[in-house]
Amino acid sequence: MKLTYRLAALSLLIATPLPAFAATINAVMYKNPQCSCCESYANYLEHNGFKIDIKPVNNLSQISSDAGVPADLEGCHALMVDGYVVDGLVPVEIVKKLLTERPAITGITLAGMPTGAPGMGGEKQGPFVVYAFTKDGKAPTVYATE
Amino acid sequence: MNSVSSPFITRRKFLLAAASIAASAPIRPALALATGEHRIRVAPGQARLTGPDGPRTPVWAYDGTVPGPTLRLRQGQPARIVVENGLDEDTTVHWHGIRLANAMDGVPGLTQPPIRPGENFLYEFTPPDAGTFWYHPHADSLVQLGRGLAGALIVEEAEPVAVDRELLWLLQDWRLTKDGQIAAGFGNMMDAAMSGRVGNVVTVNGAPPADLTVKAGERVRLRLANASLARIMALRFEGHRPVIVAIDGQPCDPHEPEGGRLVLAPAMRIDVVLDMQGDPGSRHAVIDDYYDGLAYTLTTLAYDAGAPLRDHPLDAPIRLPGNPLPGPDLAEAERQEIVLQGGMMGGGKLAGIGGMMGMAMPGMNGAAWAINGMSMTGDGHAGMAPQFTLSRGATCRLTMRNETAWWHPMHVHGFSLSVLSRNGSPVPHRQWQDTVLLAPKDTIECAFVADNPGDWMLHCHVADHQMAGLMTVFRVT
Repeated sequence: MKLTYRLAALSLLIATPLPAFAATINAVMYKNPQCSCCESYANYLEHNGFKIDIKPVNNLSQISSDAGVPADLEGCHALMVDGYVVDGLVPVEIVKKLLTERPAITGITLAGMPTGAPGMGGEKQGPFVVYAFTKDGKAPTVYATE
Repeated sequence: MNSVSSPFITRRKFLLAAASIAASAPIRPALALATGEHRIRVAPGQARLTGPDGPRTPVWAYDGTVPGPTLRLRQGQPARIVVENGLDEDTTVHWHGIRLANAMDGVPGLTQPPIRPGENFLYEFTPPDAGTFWYHPHADSLVQLGRGLAGALIVEEAEPVAVDRELLWLLQDWRLTKDGQIAAGFGNMMDAAMSGRVGNVVTVNGAPPADLTVKAGERVRLRLANASLARIMALRFEGHRPVIVAIDGQPCDPHEPEGGRLVLAPAMRIDVVLDMQGDPGSRHAVIDDYYDGLAYTLTTLAYDAGAPLRDHPLDAPIRLPGNPLPGPDLAEAERQEIVLQGGMMGGGKLAGIGGMMGMAMPGMNGAAWAINGMSMTGDGHAGMAPQFTLSRGATCRLTMRNETAWWHPMHVHGFSLSVLSRNGSPVPHRQWQDTVLLAPKDTIECAFVADNPGDWMLHCHVADHQMAGLMTVFRVT
């Protein structure tokens, strides 16, 4: 767990901070009370211009499901930000792209907890594929790849 | 389900015998008939889990009640229990913690053919140990337990214990939708790879928590049983000092829990003696604060205004009579080790079977966990190769090592384990358990005498973890 934090700290150095004049973006994070990666991810977002209200919940998968996240694409927490759901360890540039472009979708998700994702640490094993999903029953589409 | 005005009225359903409980103190616990044939029907039913005005929730129930009827057996007296399957799917009953013949253990495929829809199965066993046990399905476990199939099994001591009152809290945890229905999503991989399907509604004996009326000065034996799929509980009794007298049905040296918290993982039971030393008219919360940031009041001890029953606590001894457990011979013990692996934040131990550091996606067969590199998934089936074999009568010194980032209540079928040490420190109070909770990175040493032949299960009792690979089998020849 300490390693996770160290790696998270490292990733903070790598991530580009927002310009000082940018407004703080408020977000609510629902997470499993026993998962530490999400806290590292929240920390990462906070160093990139977000203010995260962390809410531990025991029924995360139910909350994610209610929020429209496809069961097979769930990440390890659900972030509610500016009318969107951002599920899992989505890199901050992609979150900001979402908030800037404001597409007509419910949210985006990076499934699981892939190695090398913000908050996780470890070596990245391949590209991160972030999916966009809606609540109208249509299949998820690729929103961004990093 | 039964409608009861208070969830704390112990539901003593005697299927053949009725016994009354004296109201005055000190009383003896109720007695059940020594022998007799019980029948239990498994079928869909309905329950009001959020109170008498709440919605009806479709559940699966034993004899139409949630939880199922409390079975009271006598130590050393034969019992016959016919289970009728009124579900549309296979079921079995596992008599959790009872040391019985392998063929009565209730694991489909491994110890018996599953009970098909419309069929019966006769379970016959003679419980050697007095204590607090429970029963539940071992087929489609995650769904069947999650839909309500669980009941308490009390084996009475030959000589009753001197208390004023005996209470049973069978604790269940439900994941309900906003309209009170059992939420879909059983087997969700994120649940499976994290802490399991923890719910959002806790019931005590099938009803939402309410005040428990108590009398100043009375001594209560409280039997706690956690029948949740995945919820771990840590109970604090404000202003009170519960004394643990048995764990998983097996008596131990009476002791107060560390930090005053009773940690009760799924499938665990703890018997406590509570001397009600509060003032008449006072109120004291019972709080479950296991999960950080998610503490809630389970119930409140509400003292009636009457004069105390007695001036000083009873001085009767609270130690329970011992059970006839075979003593391990540690000098000649055979050592075995099982290592728990996988899950989220698992560090790549499951890389070969669908894990990954943290698991991008579930692997083959929905495996998210493994024991010694092997994922046995599901509920049990024929042809499960034993992880190790013990000669009958040998002492096994079993090390369980949790390499994962998650908590696991590890349950061994057919035996009680003498818990020797946790992370190198001796475990005091002579504790025997059939369900041992391992914190992340914990190492537990325990011992038992392999006196009962058969293929026995050893698995995590977080149902999602079991289904997703945290299960193994060992053989006693």
